Amino acid sequence: MGITLERRFLLIRAALALSTIGLAFFAGIIIISSVGKDPLQAYYWLFQGAFSPPAIPETLIRATPLLLISIGLATVFKARIWNIGAEGQFYVGGMVTAILSILLKDAPPSLAFPVIVLVAGLGGALWALPPAILKATYGINEVITTLMFNYVAIYLVSYLLHGPFRDPVSMFPETETINPALWAPIVVQGTRLHVGVLLAFAVVVPLAYFFLRWTAFGLKLDVLGSSARTAQYANINVTRLVIQAMLISGFLAGLAGGFEVLGIQHKMRLELSPPTSPYGYTGIAVALLGYLNPLLIALTSFFLGGIINGSMTMHRMAQIPVGMAGIIQALIIIFVLASYFVEDKLAKKAMERLKLW
Amino acid sequence: MVSVEIVVGLLYSSVSLLTPILLAGLAELLVERSGILNLSLEGAMLVGAFTAFMVAFYTGSLGYAMLAASIAGVALCMLFALLTITLALDQMVTGLALNLLTIGITSYFYRASFGWYVSPIPPHVETTLQPVEIPVLSQIPILGKVLFNHLPHTYAALALVFLSWWLLFRTESGLKIRAMGEDPQTADYLGINVNLTRYALLVLEGGIAGIAGALLSIGYYNMFLDNMTQGRGYIAIALVILSRWNPLLLLGAAFIFSFIDALQLRIQAFNVPFLPYQFALMLPYLFTIVLLLVAGRKVKGPASLGKPFKKSR
Repeated sequence: MGITLERRFLLIRAALALSTIGLAFFAGIIIISSVGKDPLQAYYWLFQGAFSPPAIPETLIRATPLLLISIGLATVFKARIWNIGAEGQFYVGGMVTAILSILLKDAPPSLAFPVIVLVAGLGGALWALPPAILKATYGINEVITTLMFNYVAIYLVSYLLHGPFRDPVSMFPETETINPALWAPIVVQGTRLHVGVLLAFAVVVPLAYFFLRWTAFGLKLDVLGSSARTAQYANINVTRLVIQAMLISGFLAGLAGGFEVLGIQHKMRLELSPPTSPYGYTGIAVALLGYLNPLLIALTSFFLGGIINGSMTMHRMAQIPVGMAGIIQALIIIFVLASYFVEDKLAKKAMERLKLW
Repeated sequence: MVSVEIVVGLLYSSVSLLTPILLAGLAELLVERSGILNLSLEGAMLVGAFTAFMVAFYTGSLGYAMLAASIAGVALCMLFALLTITLALDQMVTGLALNLLTIGITSYFYRASFGWYVSPIPPHVETTLQPVEIPVLSQIPILGKVLFNHLPHTYAALALVFLSWWLLFRTESGLKIRAMGEDPQTADYLGINVNLTRYALLVLEGGIAGIAGALLSIGYYNMFLDNMTQGRGYIAIALVILSRWNPLLLLGAAFIFSFIDALQLRIQAFNVPFLPYQFALMLPYLFTIVLLLVAGRKVKGPASLGKPFKKSR
């Protein structure tokens, strides 16, 4: 008995996670070959563009919005609240950031910057609030309402970018470039790595890990997730908990949008999210693949951020449509779900062998 | 001020727009009555729209296109059934994942066939589905114009409303479907094959959803656009909740929705100055939420809706 049961489960879990990714890429081979392209060459460019040393900074930049969004989603998913609205919350965060940056362009940057970042988060939280209230007080299915709110957010942003906030000299529906004094400071010279990347990986991840694992709040989410009835017996104020969790989730998505504008785009655009693998929806994959654990989510964000980044290289060098990144992500979610089934079976078998029931 | 002409036109397009959402909603309603929540309805419509366009584009045959669309819809729903019934995985997450997959796959193969830079005029099909005028009835003033000059699918959808109501509430099979939606375990003890029935209903849903999607690409338009269903499948699911899982009420809910949709299109076309087109586009989504708020509070669906069923022995 050199290896404990717990450790063995951990190993099985890791093996399963790796094989799910392997299977997703294997299925991808079929899809790439079916249009007469060479899958090995495609994957070579995918990984070159994702994880080769020069590609790492851009991969981290892609990973940052995913990380912030999926940590928020992990918070609600733990309680089995399905917020599918991160995409809309992300866009609202980006939009209010651009508007506020334009309004505050002459304010002292050291004062304006933190205010703008905070308001970006609040904007996202505000967008999550109506579905949260509808879910918590009237039991209205949050999948439907958050999804509907995504469409409303995108059309609202589209209106603002075509109308009142359109940069008159630009050919595209986008705002003017914001004052460089308000841009998120770069932390590594010669790259686009901005302070938001650092904040996400070095502050938000450990904080979330602590909160979800070691506080009463995290425990309550777990209880609500295991059963709504248990939560009521445990005297948990479910209405309040649902709203709190949704607000946190919306806040982080809004924050992600804010940093995307302040750190990368420096203006609000209609394509704040990559069209074929939108951050808000990809975040769902990240949260699930990371077993709702902030540390694993950091790793998964890096991985899927790399896939998004590498798919551009794959498109340029091997003429594979970038939709491939979306396909691989969706396949990974499906295989992860299937691996839950395998894990369940393996656990049962192990228990039977130990005669634990 | 408002002429009869405009009202008739508005009502006509409401009935016309009603078709895909009603078809999809009816299929989902039956499936949900059996206890399965299938969000991949959206994806099934999208693959239907895509497949129908591709087949119509390359063969020129609308018949083959419809057939292929329904096969594609069935294939997706079978994948959903395999994952959620046989492997008993979470229905909500599986449905969402399959929808992401279909968005990726349709956009990927569309680009792989037509190239990355779609020229200003995207590829389109020459012929689309044509309305069928019903001889005598279409002569009735106003009503004839509104109701009796539509795609055959519209008549089929209306017939299906009554057919599915009759199936659910007046036949033994309907009783069995409702029973397994409430309590699959007991239904199983009584000798009903729960999983087989659910598989069968999902085959039906896939076929119907594929056709509903095809109506978008080769019925109302003549082209395919990325993610062209734009949440129509999710809206259909919201309407099912509103209808309290009753086909007759679904017809009402879907009609109100399509009326708003038709109105929204008019607003866009007339270019009303104080209402930018983006707000018109928002209307169907906002309206769905308002409807849910008004009539969808604390509604009780089938008791075991969305819960995986594991047969105990």
